[in-house]
Amino acid sequence: MLAYIGRRALLGIFTVWAISVLAFAIIQLPPGDYVTSYIAQMASMGSVVTDEEAQNLRIQYGLGQPIYVQYFKWMRLIVQGNFGMSMEWRRPVTEVIGERLWLTVIVSVAALILTWVLALPIGIYSAVRQYSVGDYVATFIGFIGLAVPNFLLALVLLYLGFVLFNAHIGGLFSPEFQDAEWSGARAWDLAKHLPIPAVILGLAGTAQQIRIMRANLLDELRKPYVVTARSKGLSEARVILRYPVRVALNPFASTIGYTLPYIVSGSIIVSLVLGLPTVGPLLLKALIAQDMFLAGTIVLLLGVMTVIGTLISDIVLVLIDPRIRLEET
Amino acid sequence: MTDLGRTPRTRQRRSRIVMALVVGLLTTVLAAGALAQMAKSGLIGKLEGPEVVTDPAKFPKTLNEAPQLAALVKAGKLPPVAERVGQDPLVIKPLREIGRYGGTWRAGFTGPADFWNGFRCCSGPDHLMFWDYTGDKVMPNLARGLEMQDGGRAWLLHLRRGMKWSDGKPFTADDFVFWFEDIYRNKDLIPTPSAAMAINGKQGTIEKVDTHTVRFKFPEPYYMLPDVLAGSTDLAGQMFGYRGMGGFAPAHYLKQFHPKYAGAAELDRKVKEAKFDSWVRMFLAKNDWALNPDLPVLSAWKTVTPINTPTWTLERNPYSVFVDTAGNQLPYIDRVVLALAENLEVLNLRAVAGEYDYASRHVDLGKLPVFIENQQKGGYKVYLDPGDYGGDMIIKFNLNYDADPEIGKWFNTADFRRALALGIDRDQINETFWLGTGTPSSVVPADGNKYNPGPQYRKMWATLDVKKANEMLDKLGLAKKDGDGYRLRADGKGRLRIEIMTLGGQFVQYTQIAEMIREQWKKIGIDLTVQEVERSLALKRTAANEQQLGAWNNDGSEHLFTFPLHVFPFELAAVATSGPLYVKWFHSAGAQGKEPEPRMKELMEKWKKAFGVPEKERIQLGKDIWKIAAEEVYIIGVIGMGPASMGVRVVKNNMGNIPSRQYNSPDGKTPGISRPATFFYKN
Amino acid sequence: MAEPEAILERGGSPLGGPTAVADTREQRIFVASQWQLMWWRFRKHKVAVASAVVVASFYLIVLGADFLAYADPNASEAHRSLMPPQRVYWFDGGRLSPHVYGLKGARDPQTFKRVYVADPDRKIPIRFFAEGFEYRLFGLIPTTRHLIGVDGGADATQAVFLLGTDVQGRDLWSRLMYGTRISLTIGLFGVTVSLILGVVLGGFSGFYGGMADTIIQRTIEILRSIPTIPLWMGLAAALPRDWSVLQVYFAITIIISLLGWTELARVVRGRFLSMREEDFVVSARLVGCSQMRTIFVHMVPSFMSHIIAATTLALPAMIISETALSFLGLGLRPPAISWGVLLQQAQNVQTVAISPWLMLPAVPVIIAVMAFNFLGDGLRDAADPYGR
Repeated sequence: MLAYIGRRALLGIFTVWAISVLAFAIIQLPPGDYVTSYIAQMASMGSVVTDEEAQNLRIQYGLGQPIYVQYFKWMRLIVQGNFGMSMEWRRPVTEVIGERLWLTVIVSVAALILTWVLALPIGIYSAVRQYSVGDYVATFIGFIGLAVPNFLLALVLLYLGFVLFNAHIGGLFSPEFQDAEWSGARAWDLAKHLPIPAVILGLAGTAQQIRIMRANLLDELRKPYVVTARSKGLSEARVILRYPVRVALNPFASTIGYTLPYIVSGSIIVSLVLGLPTVGPLLLKALIAQDMFLAGTIVLLLGVMTVIGTLISDIVLVLIDPRIRLEET
Repeated sequence: MTDLGRTPRTRQRRSRIVMALVVGLLTTVLAAGALAQMAKSGLIGKLEGPEVVTDPAKFPKTLNEAPQLAALVKAGKLPPVAERVGQDPLVIKPLREIGRYGGTWRAGFTGPADFWNGFRCCSGPDHLMFWDYTGDKVMPNLARGLEMQDGGRAWLLHLRRGMKWSDGKPFTADDFVFWFEDIYRNKDLIPTPSAAMAINGKQGTIEKVDTHTVRFKFPEPYYMLPDVLAGSTDLAGQMFGYRGMGGFAPAHYLKQFHPKYAGAAELDRKVKEAKFDSWVRMFLAKNDWALNPDLPVLSAWKTVTPINTPTWTLERNPYSVFVDTAGNQLPYIDRVVLALAENLEVLNLRAVAGEYDYASRHVDLGKLPVFIENQQKGGYKVYLDPGDYGGDMIIKFNLNYDADPEIGKWFNTADFRRALALGIDRDQINETFWLGTGTPSSVVPADGNKYNPGPQYRKMWATLDVKKANEMLDKLGLAKKDGDGYRLRADGKGRLRIEIMTLGGQFVQYTQIAEMIREQWKKIGIDLTVQEVERSLALKRTAANEQQLGAWNNDGSEHLFTFPLHVFPFELAAVATSGPLYVKWFHSAGAQGKEPEPRMKELMEKWKKAFGVPEKERIQLGKDIWKIAAEEVYIIGVIGMGPASMGVRVVKNNMGNIPSRQYNSPDGKTPGISRPATFFYKN
Repeated sequence: MAEPEAILERGGSPLGGPTAVADTREQRIFVASQWQLMWWRFRKHKVAVASAVVVASFYLIVLGADFLAYADPNASEAHRSLMPPQRVYWFDGGRLSPHVYGLKGARDPQTFKRVYVADPDRKIPIRFFAEGFEYRLFGLIPTTRHLIGVDGGADATQAVFLLGTDVQGRDLWSRLMYGTRISLTIGLFGVTVSLILGVVLGGFSGFYGGMADTIIQRTIEILRSIPTIPLWMGLAAALPRDWSVLQVYFAITIIISLLGWTELARVVRGRFLSMREEDFVVSARLVGCSQMRTIFVHMVPSFMSHIIAATTLALPAMIISETALSFLGLGLRPPAISWGVLLQQAQNVQTVAISPWLMLPAVPVIIAVMAFNFLGDGLRDAADPYGR
């Protein structure tokens, strides 16, 4: 058991390292570097950057060196707990990311919770009343979330929020709480802003979970022990909920690992549209500006988040279902 | 797989041309009607603005200050206001009325690259000289006066007595000398000297005459210096401090970061502590008006939380030298809070919702109906400030393009350029993308601009004349067409294809407009490919002489001599170019690059000459330059004098001293030209 | 091995007890081929059948996009800008004669909106199989016939605009037809790439096991742990911006499928693993079949249905991905027309507030994604009539 967890953890670390390499490589792919992007920006505003200034900047930022040198420099910094400087923001990467990462986690988790809250009952109902009208309607609702382009939905909800409720446009905080210290009031303000992003994100993941729940439960309900329970006189509700559902939940737990990257990805797009102070909009700008350390760190952290999520779900699974240990050969 | 969406035209072409002419006539008539109607809409007001009072007799006798500053004076923490402002205040007559103190100005910005946002709204402006509200006359600003000597070879700049930096230290000629000797001349800080400090390529000097007088000295007459000091050039105050430019700098503060004054070891320690790579980086970061809250400034507001945080906050400068005619120290408004809105749709929607008190930057003209619709709900009014420049959208021909000699040849043939210019249906473009608020035009600036060569140049080669365009192209030897109706190359290598490079995500939708033009040029047989690129790629391609046609705008060109960037090939680092080799030739006085053709050369020579001649002659040179530009069509003007670039203004109803129309120009740092320090909250 | 009763029961409610089976039905089941059994199972899933019809219609649109469109999707005309969908009147004085009214448009100087007023004196009858702009049917036959149109063909200054027009005055219906073509073919192409990658790598993994299996499995896990959007953003930002629209199109599909093959590989591997021990495979090997033959002749057909199901389920992901990439500005760009491009052009405040019909391209996206999902579900349920 410990060996299993140990193996998964080791794999997790390896995955994180692989992600870092991948992230760094991809960021370097576009032609040019941060300085070319910076010059372009200055030029389009009518300001001039001379060749010498550009050269100096390149040397300052260490952009003249080959990629692997820059990568190892970055790795060395990370090991020391320093993620480098963001060239665009001229601040340490950790400061720029700041609380955004936590906010990304909060939004993603809120979406995940919403997903389960919706998917579980719908999935159970769907399996129990298979092929009935209720089954189709429920599955339909689940799939709508997947099918609607979430960026368009986000914009529409944003506009409707303004037109109907005079809601503050986008963001996760009202202006007065944006830079304030954490407090009960601030947390409540955050909670008030969470529903729209959580709904848009959560709906998308619901379909998948419904499907899985439904399929697993269907399999369980065919098993002989269900017949036994029923023939022994247990009420229908207890027959379903006490045993099959609990068993069907097992694979559910394992899906956290794969739902999380999906939700985090989705949250990037929704964050862009709604102007949420999460990691998404920051990443897009950083990728376009080729702000190397910032973009690399964000992708790395997102990867770590999902790897940790996977690890947790694996451990949970092992704790619940002893069969997994045996299967894992 | 079928060609993605393109359809060939065949025998129906002739009748289609007739149809197009009819439609063209109709649209012209309709457009004229629309223009008249637009004037009735009330969105474009009368040009107005506050005035600088120069007659000392009209100066206020006593001064007042904001209540919180008065409290600090009482507590002994701040010297009294008369001492803070000095003996020679900069008196501004507010547009409508004397205002009240108080309030926070809420606005939005898009990130650490958006520093122009802050300069435009909140710097004062802190130029030594500045424009009046018409954008035409140069008036004293931070300097009390400018005196010409020695036939233009020397200029005496008179400073204001008792004027202080925002930390209370005196602002004197020493700050100029420090800038010139220790920053401008330091090769580490500034590797390449600035053209603003030079006349005919020869650099000038700055020297101290006495505490409050500075002399700019030049080897040859430099008549243009007042305009250069007033415009957004390298001598334009602390805006360009992050590059080491500006003309002056707070010596008492910056000396601690300079190796000449701080010890090498001490400086090294500071650099490491602040986590910079070198003293140069640290120095320039410390001199950054938007980034360093400790930097002493002369602007009306100063940065409190810097631009690289989610909220860029500026607060009133207690030593501000600006006062109104009643003696109240400006600004009226206490704070300016710029909130980060990383997405332009969110920013615009916030403006629609009335979350911003005054917004013009990043406001999208395409959303005008939505803004108008929500005026009442949001409690604001919409204004339009059309620019004075002839090209809210222009198309540049790269005259140096040589990757394909045939195309290069055509680009250098004036009639080819003119024919292409005649093939554009500007009314369609104006209606679709400018909602009818622009003016179909050649590149020349507005009729009221002093360099405008005359009304007949407005429409020169800038109308829709498909028949004439076809005739001209036929005469050039491009008469043969292929099966789809596109002209064939003269060298027999198939269809003549040209390419236009556009940038996405700008105030003007270049890509979509270029696509419209592509459809329009089908009628004159030209096959145009539209390439949307990223800024850095655009830069790379222009510098490498790979661009064929480039789309951009020529804002700033109404001030021809401070903003020549989009009038003729002036800068290598440009997102659209008319000829990188000509740029090299221009700046190296013929040593590098390629010599331009005669009329371009004439244009460049006139431009250079204008800096060294008196105003009357300069104006004539300016007119000549625009004449050449309009006749030769090196650059096609599409739509001009439009409000697309920061010309859509949304202002809350409770703000006072707001002009109904202001001069929209980068040189004017709009809204700086309307002196936001005089804006106030009525309740 | 399952009993025949149990086979039928899978289609019925699991909460009921075993039901009596008629003799003839039992006979038919014993005799029916694998594909027939699958078809019968599939038929029971009504929604899946309906979805199949919908999907088929979509691909008919793909084939006949030019025919179904009636206006040149690139023809811009400022005076038709932002027309709302036109109301079609079906009866004209008692007779069935679909027509629309000509519209007069102008920009309101107060609100700056484009306002269109129907001109009651100008009736424009809608003709079927009318003449319009020229195109090539199936890419070969030049013709000018379209499903609907108006008199005057391609020269008509007034035409019908079923779904309204966009900012440049281009007909939305016609653009939607062409957009459907591009979006659905991107999906097919991308899914094919994923399929090849998935089958090859999954098969390798499952059949050979051991080191190859471990490496491929770990790679899949790593790929699945990466949030896709940043990866796409990075890859797409790296695409040379001066590639032609067509090149970008193919590059985008490859980028999307590079991450999509993992699901298919997992399914294939699972199938191979469980099938390795099956009697029929062992006996094939014992009889002397080569590995290739064993795989392709004996094993592949038995999980073909699973592959089909998984592939169908991968398509909607491709469609959504294409729209997401277009939104980010990294996917297809104008002048290409796809659902993603159309949605991206609608992704602004003025559309939501003033010209909401431009958001209609979201409808075919929703329908297509749901149809493919239901179809895939049905196929998967029917995929294995014999066992789990």
